[in-house]
This record gives sequence, structure tokens and C-alpha cells, in this order.
Amino acid sequence: MRALILVGGYGTRLRPLTLSCPKPLVEFANKPMIIHQIEALKQAGCTEVVLAINYQPEVMMGFIEEWQEKLGVKIVCSQEKEPMGTAGPLALARETLDDGKGTPFFVLNSDVICDYPLKDMLDFHKARGAEATILVTKVDDPTKYGVVVMDEYGQVQRFVEKPKEFVGDKINAGIYVCSPSILKRIELRPTSIEREVFPHVAADNMLYAYTLNGYWMDVGQPKDYLKGLHLYLDSMAIRQAASLAHGPGISGNVLVDPTAKIGEGCLIGPDVSISAGCVIGNGVRLSHCVIMRGVQIKDHTKVDLSIIGWGSRVGTWSRLENHCVLGEDVQCKDELYLNGAVVLPHKEIKDSVPSPAIIL
Amino acid sequence: MRALILVGGYGTRLRPLTLSCPKPLVEFANKPMIIHQIEALKQAGCTEVVLAINYQPEVMLGFIEEWQEKLGVKIVCSQEKEPMGTAGPLALARETLDDGKGTPFFVLNSDVICDYPLKDMLDFHKARGAEATILVTKVDDPTKYGVVVMDEYGQVQRFVEKPKEFVGDKINAGIYVCSPSILKRIELRPTSIEREVFPHVAADNMLYAYTLNGYWMDVGQPKDYLKGLHLYLDSMAIRQAALLAHGPGISGNVLVDPTAKIGEGCLIGPDVSISAGCVIGNGVRLSHCVIMRGVQIKDHTKVDLSIIGWGSRVGTWSRLENHCVLGEDVQCKDELYLNGAVVLPHKEIKDSVPSPAIIL
Repeated sequence: MRALILVGGYGTRLRPLTLSCPKPLVEFANKPMIIHQIEALKQAGCTEVVLAINYQPEVMMGFIEEWQEKLGVKIVCSQEKEPMGTAGPLALARETLDDGKGTPFFVLNSDVICDYPLKDMLDFHKARGAEATILVTKVDDPTKYGVVVMDEYGQVQRFVEKPKEFVGDKINAGIYVCSPSILKRIELRPTSIEREVFPHVAADNMLYAYTLNGYWMDVGQPKDYLKGLHLYLDSMAIRQAASLAHGPGISGNVLVDPTAKIGEGCLIGPDVSISAGCVIGNGVRLSHCVIMRGVQIKDHTKVDLSIIGWGSRVGTWSRLENHCVLGEDVQCKDELYLNGAVVLPHKEIKDSVPSPAIIL
Repeated sequence: MRALILVGGYGTRLRPLTLSCPKPLVEFANKPMIIHQIEALKQAGCTEVVLAINYQPEVMLGFIEEWQEKLGVKIVCSQEKEPMGTAGPLALARETLDDGKGTPFFVLNSDVICDYPLKDMLDFHKARGAEATILVTKVDDPTKYGVVVMDEYGQVQRFVEKPKEFVGDKINAGIYVCSPSILKRIELRPTSIEREVFPHVAADNMLYAYTLNGYWMDVGQPKDYLKGLHLYLDSMAIRQAALLAHGPGISGNVLVDPTAKIGEGCLIGPDVSISAGCVIGNGVRLSHCVIMRGVQIKDHTKVDLSIIGWGSRVGTWSRLENHCVLGEDVQCKDELYLNGAVVLPHKEIKDSVPSPAIIL
């Protein structure tokens, strides 16, 4: 089976992290985002994955070489010369996606982390004889999203983008199963699959929706990234509890890379991930935060609700809270208070940031 | 003769421009900053220039290949493994700078744009038998800088960093002539030439200061960049007036690349530079601003006191003022008001920015 992952553009919503690293390679729960997806695709039977990219192809190529072997999945790049939207890339990758035997293929948005139900979705797609099946998920506040209205069999009647009044609470979760016949509907130009292709499939009664039962998050921006981590670790606690950290200084769900060092008297958790090569000092309090590779957190410091980028240093007796995001290699002096500080890579922070600010 | 240009680090003060391009390659008056310096060094007799860099060597190397031929000057890179300060790089490049015959060499900070008096400075250095000669320039407010205190012959008595009371109004302009004997005083470690080396040279009565008569600016941040452009174009108006733009729609000093197109009914100037491939629409008002390569400014728009980065698009009937800085490829919709908007590369601006803000 084949799959296409829409990697797309500049990842501006996940800046400053994406100023150092293309978004799909930014780690989520200590593993590049795109690996979470490729592993799920492999489990569902995919042997070939196309990455539709239009930015920094050299970096993606390097990554692909490294991971193809590890994963045992063939990974190819489809490079867009201009941004092709959400359907254009399918036309561009037509040769790879259509195996000539009518085998369906998956399409994933690269920001989506969820309890991937890919095999079940595929079975449902075949059972319904659909041309396309959209994964939908229930949300509390549908007004920010594209709501999918369907009947009790899952046949989609219509989409409503950002509805002002209630039409339903299932939204497009950004994962599709498509039969190759859909490619006839897509021209090789910048196109939106949701706005220009799916409505026609729905008009032909061939568009279905499969409801996701597990967790879902679009982790393309820091706040949602942290929420997504909470959901992901929650799921790990149920299915892979042994991979989480345990011990006297651990509270709630915490993921720690084996090469990370944690000092004495720390209290870590809940909802914390600590990546490879990190050095956490003594008496450090970490909660609801992400510590990327190679970060140093010095003694007696407290970090809450924040993301600390690769190679950064947070000084002693410091307090970081309220959605700080430190880019790569940010060096903070000791004894600082950072409230909602968003710091670009390679900066030195010498003074406190008392209220939310971007540090250029 | 040889020279060393301290290119150094990440250029964070000139973000967002330096998120797309290393600082020395950012154009000033339509020419990469570092080319202004290398051309001046060539005019003073330099045949070999060392670039002391510690970031993005690949980009600099590509640039060097291109420009070595054009300029007829040998350019080599000296790459610092860790930031070496302002003296360390001299020790690192010892072999290149010391020709064994006692010939002095120049040292330049890469942010300095001025009326380079290099030949005169060299003559002065030799006449005084100095071991090092610092270029100094007179400023109105010396309190932000390093003030150089000297006698009537130019012999330096002392430096005072950011003096609270008045000690003098000549500051270190970031350009030095050094005799090779100074290299004996510099260890191969991160060192500040101003704080750790020059005071010893001064104590031996071998440190002199040469006063700059013309314009000077440290263009390492947007506000100073614009001030520097004013000074530079002012100097061009005196010496190379034919290179400036003339005509009915031009006011004051304006520099326009021959490949740029300007529409009807525009009023451009004063103190504007427009780079290669730009397309300025009809009825556009530009003042005190920098339009980088490939920018489009649409009809009836007014831009004042701002820098528009490479490939950006400013929409119709828009007003940009108060130190906007648009990074590379910023796409602005029509009819917007941007007040002090600092926008990172590849952003789309759909709404006005009514008060100064950084757009991530």
C-alpha cells in the first residue's frame, strides 16, 4: 500500500522551533513527528510513503536516507515547485499512488498526532465502497474547524467551514483513505482537496466519514503541541506503561530518554518529555513541558507549560511558565523569570521577561 | 597587504533579515555589506582578506567563490570552532596576517559602514610607529559606546566603556591597523581585543587613534541601517552624483538598480534604495526606506522608515511606517496599515498591525 504525507510549507506556527528544523522533523514525545505517522502507516500495511514537500528538501533527504533503513519502508519525496495546496500534491505523485490495481492509499496531514485507526479506516472504506473516506473526530468547540455533516452510515452530506451556528461536532481530522479513481478529479495545480475535490465526491455519494475513537491533536503550534503530549502520554500510560518513567521524583506521565540525566531532589511531571542527552540538575521542578535534545536545566529551576529547544541552557533558580518557547541554542543566565517568552534561536537571555514577549 | 574582517556570529540584531542570509551578505545600498569593506580594503592596497566566521560557512564559501574573481582579491575563511571574541580570530589567522616582513594589516568589524580612510590611517600608523591604530569617530552621545581618550598626537591614554560622565566624544569606530608584533600579545582563546589586548599596547605607549572625518555607522540593526543609508547616499551625492536617480518623481538622494521598474506618478525619496528586479507600482510614495531584491510594491502605497526584505510583496493602498522590517518573502494583502511590524520570513500578512509588534 502507498501513502502521501502532506508536509508542505514553512511551519511558521511552530516557530521558533521551525527556524532550526523542518516541522516534520521536530520531535514529538522524543520522536520526529513524521516518524509517528510513518510507523502507523507501516503497521497498516504501507510499504511506500511519498512526502509532499516544498521547502528545505535537502534536510528531508538526509532524514529519509537515515530512516528508510530503520523503518523498512520506502520513502520518496515529491517536491512541489510552488505550493500545491492539499490536492495538487496527489496529482503530482499520481504515478506512485496509483498502483494500477485500484488499491486505496492514505493521505495524512503532517501535523496530526492521534490514535491512528488506519487499518479499521481502510476496512470501513472498502466495506462502504467509498471513493474517499475522511477521518473525523469529535471536538467541544467545532466553530474553529471544518465540520463534517454525515448520516448514520457515515455518508458525508456536506462540509461547513467554521460554522457560526451548530451543525455538528465532528471535524475533519486530516487523514484520508482514497481510491485511485479520485485522482481523475484532481488537476495538477494548486488545489484544496477539502474545498474543490471532496464536495464533488460527496455529490456522487462516494464520500464517507469514519469517526475516530481515540485522542487527536493538530500539534502544529506550541499550545496544541503541549495538549497533544498530554493526550499521547495518557495513551502510553494505558498501552505502554513500561516505557514511561517511574520512581520517587516522577509524578503522572513522564517520558525520559535513557541517555538523559536527572539530578537529586527533582519533581518531574505530569506531562513531561525529556529527550536524548539532556542534563537536568538538582532540585528541578518540571511540569507540562517539553525538553528537547541536549538541553541543560540548572539546579532549583521550575519550568511549567513550556517548550525548551535543542541545546538550550536554562540557568539556576529560574522560573519559566505560561507558554515559553525557547528555540535552538538559547542560553539563559541564572535566576531569571520568563513569562510567555518566545525566544528565537542562538539568543542569550540576560534579563527576565515579565510579560509575554517575542525575543528576536 | 592583508586584512581580517570579523564576521562573527548570528547577526541577531538584524533579524528578521539575518534569518534568511548571513549578515555580511545582507545588502547595504544595493551591495553586500562585506563587499563595501573588501572594495575599500582593495583600494588601500590589500590583496588578501581573511573572513573570521563561526556560522553558516557554506553560504559564505559560495559567496567567496563568486566574488573573488569579480574583485581580484584573495578571500579566505577562518572558521572559529567556538566564538573567539574580537582578538582570538587574529591569533587563529596568524599565518595569513603575518607576512614575516612586519607589514601592518587591517582589522574590520563587519557592521561598520563609513568613509573608509584606510590609506591615510596606514600612513598615520607608520608615521607614529604604532603597534596598533584605532579609527575613532566623533559622536553626539558617547555614553552608549567605548570612548577613547587620547593626547594631541593621537596617542591613546585609556578606554572608558559607556562612560557615565563626560570623558571625551571620540568612540572606537571598529577599524584597526595592526603591526604583526601585536600577535604575540594574543592567545588562541576567546579574547576581546578592546578589553584584553589594547590596554597593554596603550601601556607600552604604542596605541594610537586616528580620527575619521567622514560619515560612520554601525549598521547592525535596522534603525542604524536606515541612518547609515542616509549618510552613505549623502556622500554619494557629493562624489558619485551620477549614480543616484534623477527625474520628476525623485526627491533627495535615491539609489535605484537599473533592473528595477518604477510606475507612473510615484514620489520616491529621500534616502531610498531600490534593489535589482523590484517592481514599484503606480502612485507609490517611498521615503527613508530600503527595498531589497525582487520586491513588489503595489499601487498607491506609502512606505516610510522601513526595510522590505527580498521577494516580499506589499499590497495596494497600504501604509507602512515607523520601522517596519519585513523578512524574506513576506506577502501582504492589500489595503493594510503596518506600524512598526517586524515580520519573519515567508509570512502572509492579512490584517493590519496597528501598533509595533513582531509577527512570528
